[in-house]
Amino acid sequence: MTELSFANVSITYRSASTRGDVTAVSDISLDLPTGATLGIAGESGSGKSTLIMSALRLLPKSTTIDGQVRLGGKDIRDLSFGEIRAVRWAQASIVFQGALHSLNPVREVGGQIIEALEHHAKDAWMTPAKRRDRMFELLEEVDLDQSKAVSYPHELSGGQKQRIMIAMALACEPDIIIADEPTTALDVIVQKQILEGMARLVGERGISLLMISHDLAVLSAVCENLAIMRHGKLVEYGPSDQVCLAPEEDYTKQLANAFPQIGDAESRMNPRTLKPAEVRRAQPYEMTDEVVLEAKNLSVSFDTRQGRERAVRGVDLALHKAEILAVVGQSGSGKTTLARSLLGLQEVDAGSQLDFAGTALPRKAKALRAFRRQVQMILQDPSGSLNPKRSVYEAVVEGLRVQKITDDEYARVIGALEAAELTPAADYLESIPQELSGGQRQRVVIAGALALDPQVLIADEPVASLDASVRGEILSLFLALKKNLGMSALIITHDLGLAWNIADTVAVMKKGEIVEYGDVDTVLSDPQHAYTQELLAAVPRLGSQSLVNNG
Amino acid sequence: MTTPTHDLPTPSGEPDPGSTGSSGGRADHDMDEPPKGGSFLGYLLRKLGGALTSMILVVVLGFFAFRMLPGDPVLKIAKERPMSPAQIAELRSQYGLDKPVIVQFWDYLVGIFTGELGESYVYRKPVSELIVDYLGPTLLLTATAAVLAIGLGLWLGQLSAWRRNSLFDKVASSTSLVFWSVPTFWLGLILLMIFGGTLQWLPTGGMITPGLDPWSPAGIIDVIKHLILPVITMVAVVYAQYLMVMRASLIEEMSEDYLTTARAKGLTEDEVRKKHAVPNALLPTITVVFMHIGGLITGAVTVEAVFSWPGLGKLTFEAISGPDLPLLQGTFVVFSAIIIVMNLAADIVYRFLDPRVRRA
Repeated sequence: MTELSFANVSITYRSASTRGDVTAVSDISLDLPTGATLGIAGESGSGKSTLIMSALRLLPKSTTIDGQVRLGGKDIRDLSFGEIRAVRWAQASIVFQGALHSLNPVREVGGQIIEALEHHAKDAWMTPAKRRDRMFELLEEVDLDQSKAVSYPHELSGGQKQRIMIAMALACEPDIIIADEPTTALDVIVQKQILEGMARLVGERGISLLMISHDLAVLSAVCENLAIMRHGKLVEYGPSDQVCLAPEEDYTKQLANAFPQIGDAESRMNPRTLKPAEVRRAQPYEMTDEVVLEAKNLSVSFDTRQGRERAVRGVDLALHKAEILAVVGQSGSGKTTLARSLLGLQEVDAGSQLDFAGTALPRKAKALRAFRRQVQMILQDPSGSLNPKRSVYEAVVEGLRVQKITDDEYARVIGALEAAELTPAADYLESIPQELSGGQRQRVVIAGALALDPQVLIADEPVASLDASVRGEILSLFLALKKNLGMSALIITHDLGLAWNIADTVAVMKKGEIVEYGDVDTVLSDPQHAYTQELLAAVPRLGSQSLVNNG
Repeated sequence: MTTPTHDLPTPSGEPDPGSTGSSGGRADHDMDEPPKGGSFLGYLLRKLGGALTSMILVVVLGFFAFRMLPGDPVLKIAKERPMSPAQIAELRSQYGLDKPVIVQFWDYLVGIFTGELGESYVYRKPVSELIVDYLGPTLLLTATAAVLAIGLGLWLGQLSAWRRNSLFDKVASSTSLVFWSVPTFWLGLILLMIFGGTLQWLPTGGMITPGLDPWSPAGIIDVIKHLILPVITMVAVVYAQYLMVMRASLIEEMSEDYLTTARAKGLTEDEVRKKHAVPNALLPTITVVFMHIGGLITGAVTVEAVFSWPGLGKLTFEAISGPDLPLLQGTFVVFSAIIIVMNLAADIVYRFLDPRVRRA
């Protein structure tokens, strides 16, 4: 068997630009003995990906590695290119984020698994026919039907693609599997299945697992030992239990707190962050009985090639003034369609009723424009929803100009940016998105919505693409907007922790229907519907290998 | 967001631990599995419909555009010899130019559908016959040039991208851009002067030395000799666009994660490039390649004029100086038809190459 060890490893990217060389990893020592499981947690920029890529020498040529990366006792720098190629996948394979672009989009997934077998042909899969059999065997291992072998990546769901990645990683019977954010972008139920499957397969075969993630709870569910990285340095290292439940370092505490434990009274209505948004009102707004936006018997159907699909089925929902309502559900549950129809962006079926402030939602474009001033949308990925060539001022002012609000334009923009806690606002006006961090970008998007003085914000996964520490900041901002301005918000999310952190009420959606709806404390503490219970059970909890033990 | 229906076989494996049967989270029945569908026939019909619409517009435009050209064709014919007004009127009625425009248009439409494109004023032969005679040389010239230009451009393009910012990349890209910027006729004339004039290595014009049988061995060699200069001119001027498109799309693919996957699987850099990166980069390139083949054929007009190549381009060039209306209309329709067919071919080929279009 093979063991992997990093001894005083530092990795530097040489750069010709004015920034000079960038040290991505400094002085890391970690061991992965045979059959062990190790998790490395860190946010983007912590150097965790760089570190694991060095194990198979997959870093670009512009990097220098100091210290020793040893695989099976050999320093990987001493291997020739031919030798390192033989090591890749046969001794150590990588599970990339399959949900994204780690599979070749124009080749059948079965063929991509076979390709790995071809490059490391062993007795058991010497001939093409045997390799084919082995590929089908692998698909079965990861609970995929054989018919999926001829699928292209775009025909599979995120979870299915991730299973293909795992099947591929197991293909050549490696001693070590390195998993790079294997469940990011998957919803909790699929995440749980993937983690369980991976833990089972790795455990059965005695394969060592090195997994990196930004989510401490996910790592602690699978790994015995945890390492925390920040800015390329090792912050804390120890057994999962100890690191998660009794962390010594402040940074580890911050990471551990970023994803709240549902039921934990301390994090209720209190997203943990070092930079909480300020509540300025002496008497903060609280949820009222005044209905702002209401949907009655709302249904949305699409014509597909298989016939008419009902994406949203008879939904009743009421958003009150100064209420934060979280709509939770898996991908494909129709929650985004629901949000789009509440915004008047999606045609609804006959018999559906949508009311804003007591009057029916207009259908004409001109009247809808006035309505949209009152109801603003915030999307998931701030990098994608901001035009990269436009300054912050232009991004925020656009809504005002569309709505033909011309008085005090400058003051309104400044006010919106300050309400989104980008202070001093004047410093940001000329910046373009590229110069801002992920959290700042999302604040700009929120400011763009706030500039119009809306009564309602509808946000689709507003923190899903943000780092753990930034997540708390943005959630705290939503809470402050409610308390300071009496704003109502409907937040679409797959993250029950978010609902626990800031929402007054929660609606659980499944296959287009709301299966449970009520205030957060009741629904999440005492779920009635089986699906809500299942969702809650799938949320990874801090603590040692909870998913594996239960599974 | 749609929830697709499933007609897939139910998995024989054990149920997923931890998920109740109704969760929709089964590996084979994921809720967010993208829907399938899309028939090839429907796609083909849509694309054919589009091509047909373009063709109709071309036919209409072909008639009216050339009637806006300055110059009276009958006066032009009459210029060389003395003619009485009665003779001119006679000529007009012979060509149908005395009829109202709308009637002329109708005659033209009927002609197109019966393959009868009228008679050339200058050559005094049916246009369709002329086009058939001149089409062969043009196809020979442009097909040779296209194959070479596409091959050279794509090959250099992928190497340039793979070795981005290397000396090879810089030399290859800048050289191609220099040729791209040179006017075709100028490059043709320079080549003619050097290799045909000063050095006398190659013939200066035409397709074959008069008197030789084009199908005899000597005749074939003679045609190849005549072909060299015009082909070099065409290739030099156009290969840059293939190089640039290939280079840009490969550079875009080079940062994709699936290439890291391929490397991690133990593939060599050459395998990563040839098996994964280039097939993906070719997809956007294919469309451009086909669209430019159409452009190449129209580009033949200049080259054929410079090298007196007896093809459609030269025929068009002569027809413009008339204006020889029936001939112009004929070559215009044929050129346009070739371009439209090429674009249609691009759409169909793309559909076969890219599974995302094929089954989306």
